[in-house]
Amino acid sequence: MDLLAQILINGILLGGLYAIMALGLALVWGVLNIVNLSHGAFIMLGAYLSWYLYSWAGIDPFLGLPITAVLMFCLGYAVQRGLLNFVVRGPMFNTLLITFGLEVVLTYLAQLAFSADFRTINPSYAGNSIPFGPIVIPQARLMAFGIAILLTVAMWIFLLRTRLGRAIRATAQNLVAARLYGVDPRHLYAVTFGIGIGLAGVAGGLYGTVSQINPYIGATLTAKCFAIAIIGGLDSPLGVIVGGIVLGLIESLAILYVGATFGDVASFGVLVLVLILRPSGLLGKTT
Amino acid sequence: MPSKAISFSGLLAGVALALAITPASAKDIVLGASVQLTGSSANTGRYYKDAYEFAVEKINEAGGVKVGGEQVKLALKIYDNQSDVNLSVRQYTQLVSQDKVDFLLGPFASNFALADSAISEKYQIPMIQGGGASDQIFSRNFKYIFGTLAPASNYFGSTVEMLKGLDPAPQSVALLYADDAFDVSVADGTRKLLDDAGLKTVMDEKYSSNASDFNSLLSQIKSNGAEAVLVAGHETEILNFVRQAKSLAVAPKMYSFTVGVPSEDFRKALGADADYAYGMTAWLPSADNKDKWFGDAAQFADAYKKKFGYDPDYHAASGAADVEAFAQAIEDAGGTDPAKVRDAIAKLSFDSLYGKIAFAENGQIDLPQTVIQVQDGKVVDVYGANGVINKPKYPMPAWNAR
Amino acid sequence: MNGMRWILAVIAVAVLACVPWFGSDVVVQFGISTLLLAVLAQGWNIIGGYAGYASFGNSTFFGLGAYGVAIAMVQWNMPFWVGMVFGAVMAVAFAILLGLPVLRLKGHYFAIATLALAQVVAAIVSNIPLFGENIGLVLPPLNNDAMFYEMALALLVAATLTVWWLTRSRFGFGLIAIRENEEGAAVMGVNTTAYKVLAFALSGLFSALAGGIQAYWITFLDPASAFDISLNVKMIIMTVFGGPGTVLGPIVGAFVLSAISEVLSSEITSVASLFFGVVVVAAVVLMPRGLADVVRRFRKSGWHYFAENIRAHKL
Repeated sequence: MDLLAQILINGILLGGLYAIMALGLALVWGVLNIVNLSHGAFIMLGAYLSWYLYSWAGIDPFLGLPITAVLMFCLGYAVQRGLLNFVVRGPMFNTLLITFGLEVVLTYLAQLAFSADFRTINPSYAGNSIPFGPIVIPQARLMAFGIAILLTVAMWIFLLRTRLGRAIRATAQNLVAARLYGVDPRHLYAVTFGIGIGLAGVAGGLYGTVSQINPYIGATLTAKCFAIAIIGGLDSPLGVIVGGIVLGLIESLAILYVGATFGDVASFGVLVLVLILRPSGLLGKTT
Repeated sequence: MPSKAISFSGLLAGVALALAITPASAKDIVLGASVQLTGSSANTGRYYKDAYEFAVEKINEAGGVKVGGEQVKLALKIYDNQSDVNLSVRQYTQLVSQDKVDFLLGPFASNFALADSAISEKYQIPMIQGGGASDQIFSRNFKYIFGTLAPASNYFGSTVEMLKGLDPAPQSVALLYADDAFDVSVADGTRKLLDDAGLKTVMDEKYSSNASDFNSLLSQIKSNGAEAVLVAGHETEILNFVRQAKSLAVAPKMYSFTVGVPSEDFRKALGADADYAYGMTAWLPSADNKDKWFGDAAQFADAYKKKFGYDPDYHAASGAADVEAFAQAIEDAGGTDPAKVRDAIAKLSFDSLYGKIAFAENGQIDLPQTVIQVQDGKVVDVYGANGVINKPKYPMPAWNAR
Repeated sequence: MNGMRWILAVIAVAVLACVPWFGSDVVVQFGISTLLLAVLAQGWNIIGGYAGYASFGNSTFFGLGAYGVAIAMVQWNMPFWVGMVFGAVMAVAFAILLGLPVLRLKGHYFAIATLALAQVVAAIVSNIPLFGENIGLVLPPLNNDAMFYEMALALLVAATLTVWWLTRSRFGFGLIAIRENEEGAAVMGVNTTAYKVLAFALSGLFSALAGGIQAYWITFLDPASAFDISLNVKMIIMTVFGGPGTVLGPIVGAFVLSAISEVLSSEITSVASLFFGVVVVAAVVLMPRGLADVVRRFRKSGWHYFAENIRAHKL
């Protein structure tokens, strides 16, 4: 019984980390209808940024998250404004192809810049554990989970309650009307993408404290984020939390009860089922 | 017409230039290889490239290889297979059929060696690889593949021996392994070893290669109370395993890993958390391993560190041994005829920085593994073919009691 | 029908067929690789170019075809052609069974669903002992590149003829109608479900046969290489580059992009992948309608063609 409880906690905490990873992807996809296959590569870059801030400037990875977020936001803004804005109105799979190309470019640039060595972000408290009765809670994961909830709520408030958030949603829904109101869609799209990449950067920083990083982790992370975003539903940031936790639980339970090689089968299997049975996701509105 | 004269003299000049550039000396013996220089295995792949280059350089410094009374130099042709097996297979085909290299050196990793050895067999050109230990590579009756890594099935051999002698002896063992060719081979062999030693196995789990989350498995270890944990996997996985073990407060009496512990950047990435971890190596940079070109293994390790900036481990030593094996075999065979050199390789028996190079009937070397442990940040050999060398630090204390 | 074009086509095929005799080993290798990619691109053309359903999961069929041959030859000791049939049957069955639910999705969702399917199948295969689990299977070596080359060429000819037949058959017009306006097509009496599934199955068939040839040629496969995700992108970018919804577009795209990739791989190995990524990005921005379109319109607009493309698609 204790083992099951521990596995459930593991799954939920893992879900928090997953949710942060997928939040940026879901935002960009849900609002701008841009499917970013290079999202994982940006998470990787965020992780490296965090690593450099920690190793060279001694900035604690959790305290340094705002710095990482801002720098990655600027990168995302530049990428959208300078590259993706040029293909947004083309056929759908053009964005898929271009973001795939971008993923390859970012991965190999990272390999050239950082070499293939793996790194870890290892502040002194990263390995701490908090005992809770018969269960042990890894401190770093608990902190990541907390940040995930915070950011999700913040994102929800931003999109639904602030002027900028509403402007972004409005622009994405009706470009012509937005232009008539004097809104510059290029700027707004770039801001949105920048936020999405900023979130990816934060996810990267957190990921680096619980797992090793190397230039090639991008592709697998992207695949995971897709599963999470779709399972939860793209209509609301809260859906991403649900999707993350559901996926975390499914994987952890599958490893316990079926076998440790079935994690991927479980997560992608659920993704296929959700797509077939309820494409708008668990929390999405069915049209 | 002037233009015709110009083109004709251009042609003459070109021919003259081509003749001038062509070296007048005898052809170098070219060794070809497709190695992981980029991609997910590049971290270990570079050991091979550096070792091959270093060995070729040292052999050429000493005059090269004696063939038919002449001293001939060795040359290398290395391609980057980007950690992609299919590309690696195509590159080996290119090395043989287009670049027409004389002999082949291997890639890193068993699954690569498994696929690439089909090429050496297809074209009947000997390949000596130092990166694949899986027994599968050598169980197909191929004649042209040789390997300088000890058999995977025996990787935990010395470790299990050591376990029997520990006090208090571990009452239960957990065996975890990744699902690739090498690690499955290790697990198959280790199961037998544990059975023969009478140790109780409470957990036997195969996990997906490149898994990054071990929380589930670690929680199970804590729950079933396994006292010794043996993990066969890749460096990235084992790194995650150790860190997550700490964050879940899982501390078995001992744990041992097939990779990671011998390499410097693994220990650096973990810092103090690397302490108490066991590993194994078939090679130590000891002055007892005398070598014709490098002096001995200790001098090899020093010179390697000076040249490349990082400590060599058994991967590098294995790679260097492959080149030396070719040099020796070519001299023994008196030429570069592939079939003759192949026979010469099979008969090899000489001492090198890597130990004694001699291949079994199936083409694989057989060397015993030495158990090593990280003690206070340093790698210490604790158990070898003759028993305890240095006292192992056992049992491992709880994480918060370090 | 244009008699001249037919003669040119036959000559081209004849020339290609003679390559193993006067080309070097490496050229033949490159040829096999490129021909197989062209087959994949043509297969994708059927479901993606003509029916308008951009599948990101044709690598599943490729892998199933490859495993069909591998299992038949290694586990059951059957000859190669039995393996090809087995692989093709697996792929077509899969296309029909899973195509039915998945083809109800549109746009991005269809693409992601097929991608997810590819991942699931790869993950499942790595757990099945018959398939060699994650270690894979090693096939008996056969040193006959010329034979593989001719097989790949024959397969490409078959695929291209099928696509050509599409352009003048009711089935093909039905697919184009589905692409342009699916609801309208249904109203007009086109059985959209049957047509879509048939297109999916056809594209799966060719992909599987290509996979079977590849497996025997490379003599080795494991889940990662058989179900390689990047194949999906390669076949799509080649088709899009050459001109989707045309008969020869995928072939042109495959040949040109393979040549670029090969040159990069052998000259600048370490940055080859990086350059390929850059090429993909540049192609999507500058010539999203494909090479065929470039050739057609370049004469009219010159260098302005690229700027026009950007202006048409940018925000």
